[in-house]
Amino acid sequence: MKLLFKFIQPYKLAMLIALFFTILELAVELYQPVIMAIIIDDGIVAGDLSIVYLWGSVLLGTSLLAFIGGIINSFYAAQVSQGVGYGIRKELFQKVQEFAFQQFQKFPTSSLITRLTNDVTQIQNFIFMGLRIALRAPLFIIGGIIMAYMVNVKLAHILLITVPVLLLITLWLLKKGVVLFQRVQRKLDSLNRVIRENLLGIRLVKAFTRETYEEKRFKEVNSSLMGDNKKALRIMELTMPILMLGMNGAMLLMLWLGHKELGIGTAQAGEIVAIINYATRIMFSFTVFSFLMMNYSRAKASSSRITDVLEEETEEGKHQSAVCEKIAGEIDFDNVSFRYGDDLVLKGLSFSVKAGETIGILGETGSGKSSLFQLIPRLYEVTSGRIYIDQKNIKLRNVENLRQQIGLVPQEAHLFSGTIKENILWGKEDASLEEVMEAAKQAEIHEFIMKLPDGYDTLIGQRGVNFSGGQKQRLSIARALVRKPSILLLDDSTSALDARTEASILSTLKKQSCTILLIAQKVSSVKEADSILLIHEGELVAKGSHHDLLRENSYYQKIYSSQSEGKEAGCVG
Amino acid sequence: MLGKKAHNMNGTLRRMWRYFAKEKGLFLLVLTMIMISSVLSLAGPYLMGLAVDGVLAGWTGSELLHMLIWLMLVYLLQSVAVFFQNYWMIGIAQNVVFFMRNQLFAHLQRLPLSFFQKRQHGELMSRLTNDMENVSRTLNGAVIQVVTSTLTLMGTIVMMLWLSPLLTVLTLLIVPVLFAGMKWITKRTGRYFKAQQRNIGDMNGFIEETISGQKIIKMYSQERRVIAEFESKNEALRMSSYWAQAYSGFIPKLMNMLNNISFTIIVGIGGILALKGAVSIGVIVTFTTYSRQFTRPLNDLANQFNMILSAVAGAERVFQIMDEESEEKNEQRAKSISTLTGDIVFDQVSFSYENEVATLNSVSFHVYPGQMVALVGPTGAGKTTVLSLLSRFYDADEGTIYVDGTDIKNITRKSLRRHMAFVLQDSVLFRTTVRENIRYGKLDATDEEVEEAAKQANAHDFIMKLSKGYDTVLTSEGSDLSQGQKQLLSIARAMLADPRLLILDEATSSIDTITEMKISEALSKLMRGRTTFVIAHRLNTIQHADLILVLKAGMVIEKGTDQELMKQNGFYADLVQTQRQKGVM
Repeated sequence: MKLLFKFIQPYKLAMLIALFFTILELAVELYQPVIMAIIIDDGIVAGDLSIVYLWGSVLLGTSLLAFIGGIINSFYAAQVSQGVGYGIRKELFQKVQEFAFQQFQKFPTSSLITRLTNDVTQIQNFIFMGLRIALRAPLFIIGGIIMAYMVNVKLAHILLITVPVLLLITLWLLKKGVVLFQRVQRKLDSLNRVIRENLLGIRLVKAFTRETYEEKRFKEVNSSLMGDNKKALRIMELTMPILMLGMNGAMLLMLWLGHKELGIGTAQAGEIVAIINYATRIMFSFTVFSFLMMNYSRAKASSSRITDVLEEETEEGKHQSAVCEKIAGEIDFDNVSFRYGDDLVLKGLSFSVKAGETIGILGETGSGKSSLFQLIPRLYEVTSGRIYIDQKNIKLRNVENLRQQIGLVPQEAHLFSGTIKENILWGKEDASLEEVMEAAKQAEIHEFIMKLPDGYDTLIGQRGVNFSGGQKQRLSIARALVRKPSILLLDDSTSALDARTEASILSTLKKQSCTILLIAQKVSSVKEADSILLIHEGELVAKGSHHDLLRENSYYQKIYSSQSEGKEAGCVG
Repeated sequence: MLGKKAHNMNGTLRRMWRYFAKEKGLFLLVLTMIMISSVLSLAGPYLMGLAVDGVLAGWTGSELLHMLIWLMLVYLLQSVAVFFQNYWMIGIAQNVVFFMRNQLFAHLQRLPLSFFQKRQHGELMSRLTNDMENVSRTLNGAVIQVVTSTLTLMGTIVMMLWLSPLLTVLTLLIVPVLFAGMKWITKRTGRYFKAQQRNIGDMNGFIEETISGQKIIKMYSQERRVIAEFESKNEALRMSSYWAQAYSGFIPKLMNMLNNISFTIIVGIGGILALKGAVSIGVIVTFTTYSRQFTRPLNDLANQFNMILSAVAGAERVFQIMDEESEEKNEQRAKSISTLTGDIVFDQVSFSYENEVATLNSVSFHVYPGQMVALVGPTGAGKTTVLSLLSRFYDADEGTIYVDGTDIKNITRKSLRRHMAFVLQDSVLFRTTVRENIRYGKLDATDEEVEEAAKQANAHDFIMKLSKGYDTVLTSEGSDLSQGQKQLLSIARAMLADPRLLILDEATSSIDTITEMKISEALSKLMRGRTTFVIAHRLNTIQHADLILVLKAGMVIEKGTDQELMKQNGFYADLVQTQRQKGVM
């Protein structure tokens, strides 16, 4: 729970104020029975109404004071617990933004979601509970024991032995609880995962009528969550009966010993009554304490899950590297290899691209083309070898600056909820509407957008599914173009477009003054490129223009003929 | 607590009660345990008092021991009763939550696709997790507290009435004030609890979306922008929870004050009455003790009320989804079909997505069993929509679709889709093994069948290259596979399903041409004897289609075979021409 101390720091003052008012309230509350006693003994019993009125007003006055104090306390306590939750969420989210891609393998999306919401809530609940009763319970327990010693030392020994033993038992249960609650939170992760997968694939689920199967899958994780939840909660619920039994037993023992002491005259009757009274109060505080413990064990389980994320080493360092400069777009790969998991995806790749050139990349599914792209903006780091941009190793470049000048259009067009305009603005936050439209025109999506009733303000969140694959791809190209990149990386980004649109977009792109790397499945898409890289199982097997390769490379010939198969001769070309 | 909101809340509580009713047996047990533990918790102190009195009165050792054994028994039983009351209550609460979750999830499966377009995934997830957690937290503790407090309250009122009806009325004077205060507070807490749950849902949606789209965010260096946006959602959540929590904190303080006021009224007016001889002093003294006992359970109830409010806020969001109309709702007249030959007619079908320009405009065509139909046209022409209508993801606004001569609206969605298999634009993978991902097409398929399907789809080779072959576990994002490999798995899945009606929606767009060649060979094997709908951009893949439908702006502008359309020398011929010039074919 070191975590808590860190995040509670900014709210130290608020916490002190909250605690001050809790103590004030406590003091008033402790004093009130005294006033009541005066009213009854000196007023009612003695038949003196003026005393009743006087002390009655005092009582009302102090209650009003306690009320106001209580309200203020309530505001500050809320400020602390909500503030801590806010702070943790903020830092967690920032951390996740700094994650390298490898780290998302370690913490799947569904688990990160649980950690950012549910786990933080557990901690908040604990702080809220804690601030309300934290002081009271321990103070009452300690105070009660001290008072007991003042009354009768021998009998008080029993308390001094019982209380720590009970505390130890509570701690032991607590430890078990933390482990179990951690399991509960993990089960929540799986629950989240199943729901998320289901939502992502809802079309497929419906298409294959797998509703019942999905329900079964959900029921499995749900029931295992229920099982663990029951186990954890039940273990924690053991605390209260055990504490009650222990304290009640102690009282009986005190009564028995007290009786003996009374016999030999080492204790007085009033002492026994008083000490039993204290023991009862301690017991009530203990039951409250057990409630707090339950919340604590949940919070502790959650806080270690949060700490796991916060302690991950991130790529932050990258942002500090020195060189920020405008790049022209020259790219050199020098013996670059890349390992993903157990697989060597790229094997010793070397090639050069001049600024402003258009390079086509061809290769079979899974040959490592996409990995190659992700190395350039340093989404992943090379395993060995070096990549230079404008003759400077990209490792020496400022990542943010580097990425700002690269436009990568991934295979899967990922759109965010929000308007079309907002989605294109992802490429360049401060772009004007003209720039946005310009990019949309280049991506040949402007006309379509203008046909929508709300034009650029059409909401994608509600419409994403209604956009066809081709429309999504073009929006995602527009997003890359709006930033006027020096290097444009198109990862098979035109696959869902009809041939005519594709050709038209590609020729518009060629006119841009930027280096273009283009992964494609079709020879036709890369035919016009200055040079074509042929990649096979992670190795560069050939490089050259369409005509060179067609003449010299048998693999290329094979691809080419496969795509022109069944066509009348003469049409080729 | 009056008006529409209250009605809403009552309705929600009543619905929750229905879930509880399913656990009646256990609930009776819990109630019994609460009774026992309540009685014992009164008996304990009472006997203890007797024992103390006995000690003071000079009991002998054996007399005391006798009493202590009784006491020990009472305490033991009390602890046991408390344990079981909690043990079973947790059981009930978790069962209810389990059941509600299952029901909500099952209902989600039955909602039409249009529902999902309006919602963020993360927001829906939050209803199944965070909102349900709220319900669960309350059920665990609140029910026992409410029952115990109500019992104590009733007992105390009876005792008070018995002692002095007049003073009881005086004590009850604070109740209207209490209600007014509670109303004032809960009106606010209720609103803020709702806002809080909404904000959590909103934030959950944002987190899910930004983590799914990490690549884009990183690539475009938008970390700061998403963090800023997150901050505003975080702030909104902080504010709503802050107010909800602060206001709920008022309740115990208010109770404390009212408690003291009531005490003052009793002693003040009681004092006057005593002086006039209307009541005895002893009664006043006893009464003040009871009045304290009266406010304590009331205080507990007030606190629990807050918990219940927060649970209601969560439950309402759950019920909101459950009240959405499911796909099956309008299927009473529909029949399920056991066979399908694949004769399909579109008769002047028009369709538009919610308040949008018409996506399909009076589309008509006839497909005979076993034919291959290709849909061609620029993006956004309505090709995918035709397929969505055919699979009843949506129903046509106008016109009729006939399957084997029956109006498609009279066929249940389930039985219709059971005869179809899909390979969709975006391939969907689950976090399980490759084998299970393929088996999704036919749940009872043997391992051999799965591998055979993979071989036919040419996925076998790359699967064998994965570290654990068919037992390799994929992540839900499938980020360790290339787009093309994911497509291959989708195709294998459809192969395994062995449908009567096959739907390929740009199924081969991200597969390299060498693989595609092998696949189209496999596909043509698969298509034999089945009605097939294909959307493809590379026209060479659809040349031998029995029917080519050329769509533009939601209308069929040309239809016929490749040869016929080439002769017409219209839009299709033009398209083919362009592709040839670009050397695609």
